[in-house]
Amino acid sequence: MTPLTNEDAVVSFHEVGKVYDDEGLRVTAVKNVSFDIPRKRFAMIVGPSGSGKTTLLNLVGCIDTPTSGRLEVCGQDTGALDDRALTDFRSKNVAFVFQGFNLFPVLTAYENVEYPLLLLGVGGAERRERTLAMLDSVGLADKGRHRPNQLSGGQKQRIAIARALVKNPALVLADEPTANLDTHTGAEIIALMRKVQREHSASFVFSTHDPQLMSHADETFVLRDGELFDHRAREAS
Amino acid sequence: MFLKIAFRNILRNGRRSLMTLLAIAVGGVAIVLFGEFVGFVQASLETNAVQNVGHLTVFRRGFFDYGAGDPAGFGIANYEEVTGLVENDPEIRPLLDVITPTVSLSGVIGNFEIDTSKTFLGTGYVPADREKMQRWDEHGVAQRRVLQDSGLRADDESRGVVGVGLARVLGLCAPLHIADCPPRPAPTTWVAANAGAAPDVPRESIDTEAAAKADIPRLDMLAATANGAPNVMSLYVTRAEPQGARELDDNVVVMSFALAQKLLYGRGERQATGLVLQLHRTEDLTHVRGRLEALFQAHGLDLEVRDFAERQPFYRQAVGMFSAIFLFIALIMGMIVLFTVVNTMGTSVVERTSEIGTARAMGLRRTGVRRLFVLEGSILGAFGATAGVATGQIVAMAFNRAGATWTPPGSAAPVPLEVLTAHAGGLLAGVWVGLVVMATIAAVVPANRAARLQVVDALRHV
Amino acid sequence: MIRTPRIPRRTFSMGLLAAGLSLSVHTRADNAVSAKDIVTAADGVRNPLAPFRMSLLLVEYKSGQVHDTVGLAVHSKLNASTGQYRNLVRYTAPARDVGKLVLLDGGSMWFYDPASKASIRISAQQRLIGQASNGDVLTVNLAHDYSAKILGEEAVADADRQTRSTWHLDLTAATRDAAYARLETWIEKDTYHPIKSKFYSDSGRVLKLAYYRRYETALGGARPMETIIVDAVDSHLVTKVTASEYRAEDVQDTWFQRDSLPRFSEE
Repeated sequence: MTPLTNEDAVVSFHEVGKVYDDEGLRVTAVKNVSFDIPRKRFAMIVGPSGSGKTTLLNLVGCIDTPTSGRLEVCGQDTGALDDRALTDFRSKNVAFVFQGFNLFPVLTAYENVEYPLLLLGVGGAERRERTLAMLDSVGLADKGRHRPNQLSGGQKQRIAIARALVKNPALVLADEPTANLDTHTGAEIIALMRKVQREHSASFVFSTHDPQLMSHADETFVLRDGELFDHRAREAS
Repeated sequence: MFLKIAFRNILRNGRRSLMTLLAIAVGGVAIVLFGEFVGFVQASLETNAVQNVGHLTVFRRGFFDYGAGDPAGFGIANYEEVTGLVENDPEIRPLLDVITPTVSLSGVIGNFEIDTSKTFLGTGYVPADREKMQRWDEHGVAQRRVLQDSGLRADDESRGVVGVGLARVLGLCAPLHIADCPPRPAPTTWVAANAGAAPDVPRESIDTEAAAKADIPRLDMLAATANGAPNVMSLYVTRAEPQGARELDDNVVVMSFALAQKLLYGRGERQATGLVLQLHRTEDLTHVRGRLEALFQAHGLDLEVRDFAERQPFYRQAVGMFSAIFLFIALIMGMIVLFTVVNTMGTSVVERTSEIGTARAMGLRRTGVRRLFVLEGSILGAFGATAGVATGQIVAMAFNRAGATWTPPGSAAPVPLEVLTAHAGGLLAGVWVGLVVMATIAAVVPANRAARLQVVDALRHV
Repeated sequence: MIRTPRIPRRTFSMGLLAAGLSLSVHTRADNAVSAKDIVTAADGVRNPLAPFRMSLLLVEYKSGQVHDTVGLAVHSKLNASTGQYRNLVRYTAPARDVGKLVLLDGGSMWFYDPASKASIRISAQQRLIGQASNGDVLTVNLAHDYSAKILGEEAVADADRQTRSTWHLDLTAATRDAAYARLETWIEKDTYHPIKSKFYSDSGRVLKLAYYRRYETALGGARPMETIIVDAVDSHLVTKVTASEYRAEDVQDTWFQRDSLPRFSEE
């Protein structure tokens, strides 16, 4: 592993550990990991269940903070931020795509996509422009008025992707994005994510079991028992 | 945007939202109805009092506290001058409806044909003024009542009205057509052991009252004049009027001012024991009272002023009691609204845990989460309050048309029962605001709970 | 005798008439007898001037039947400064009322009950009906409180329905405290015995009608032993007051003080 400089890494772990209390039992989810995730790649975190990959992803996604060590995301030490600052940081830099799509059921597809821009305080005209562009980009420009319960699984995930990318985040986290989709739809989604990744120059970090997805990995980080077991990289194409 | 999300979330679980809204609305209806009822009662009590004793009464200083024992000793000399002084005052004149002199006295009243007498409390009024006073109705609560004349006659000063109890005791049930009169028990005669017949002295020289009014029941009133001399005058009873309180019913006599004056003052100077003022509007009371006191002080008159609440303490007590009950009920309703909304919002929070996690992950601040749920509570409150207040007012208006009656405490006969829908704006606004505030406060606790959720745990929630 | 000073004056004026000399300004027959004289004389017939005691038997009739009987012992003394009689009355019968006292002083009436040892003032309002109202009839002092006017001479029926020749006088209240606004009284001409009196209220209605009869000598003069009071308001009520046992007595002024009442009651 060639150590990367900070400019090349979107995420840097420096002896990071995460311990939490589970009903009085102290669980060490992540033990002292140190590695970097390069920018603008499809990076995947894999490993058996209980390996700590969900926790690791949470840390990368800045929805959780390490109990020891230092974690830098997009150059920012996440441990140094309080909850509000961390939330604002996420708002600007981090987006999520969930296994269960997690769209807001009371909002239309358009409104769901628009939502992150509202959080950022983007003005009306620009918001509209970017939302429509994003819908178009994921091929669902005509489904803007539909509610999530009127869309198929694949369509919902597309909307979720649109929602994630509309704010041009530096980092996109996807936790098992294809797990609730059939193989064919899953392939489409993977292709779409590749496309938007290229268009927006975003860094994608996945957590997955899906072999199909794993086959597209640029970087693969294998976790076992809360430690980095292996790291494989594919030559950039 | 928040508003849109809040609205849509309310509509999301329509039935639950509707139930909550209804609970708030019902609370609103209850408070509005009861509040308007209390308003009506207060207005009625005030109207009764003001019709009876006017707004303000001018007394000689000391009469109010000690006059009952010696009414003649606390008279207002030159009462006509004082009346003129008050009537012509430029500040008081436009606000004044009636000013009239009265005499209060006590004595013995009897129907000596059946050899029965009892003590009585008498008041003398000028008949025309009394009639005018009994028509006062600033708040419009007496509109549907059956109007009676005062029972006094301007052309016959010997006419008067007595309480039903007094009429019954003095054997006037039949001539005054009093219903439900039990038969009189036979009087126990106590005959001495050595019974002898009364001396047979000639009595033709005692003048008897003219028999011109033989068909009208007559009672004799005895009172001691200012000098302590016994005085007697006849009262021709027009009718017996129920007085509301039993003690009054057994003792009250209402007569004309001229008669009361003659009875109490006899051969002495004719005075009045009180000057009663009735204003157009009750809200002018304080102003007029201040002006009267200033006037009396400026002219060096030894007079004082009392208002109707002082003369009829029952008014304040009753009003206070109803206000307390209203507050209690409003509080209970508020509590119910509070618990309902807390319950509803709490359930909502639990159901949307994963959504909350998602939004937080996407960058929504804790305060944003809190605001969202509090807003939902407020919206529920606003809709519920609007429905409640509007429905309450409509039900109130319908109720007023239904023509219900009741016999309030201190009253003698049933009167129309209404709720005060006029000028209720303050009450309606207050209820609306109160309910919305209650609902908003109620949403705070669940909203805080939502805001404090850990993102990771929330996302894990199904 | 204390009354004697008056006799010479009357006799003197009678004598002048008899002599045909007119020294007075009145021009009518009998004009030398003024209303005031008649009234004063009538007062004197009813009440001895010197302090005295007497017993009274009050029988109250209701609708012709005896209703109540009361025995009283009366101690009376003229208050020289006010010109009014002060009376201390003690109940002697019935047994349950023995020892109770009533003090009549001018216009005031006080009642004392030995059982409670309390004396209370009976206000004018409380003396409107009942026997308390007769107190004013019995103690009325015509010369002092009323200004008299002779209306004329009349033949009037007395209590026994005998015709008497009387002066008919009209009296109006002269003092503020006079109990009656107006009286009419019929005084027998030669004897100055009061025969009948009518008592009027301020409103002009008759309150009481009194007859005086059974004149007997006692304490230096003829006095009516019986007074019959008819209540004109409650016409069922008639009270017969029978006097007896007139005796001169050294009535003390201190007896008429409230504080003395308890002691007096026990005697």
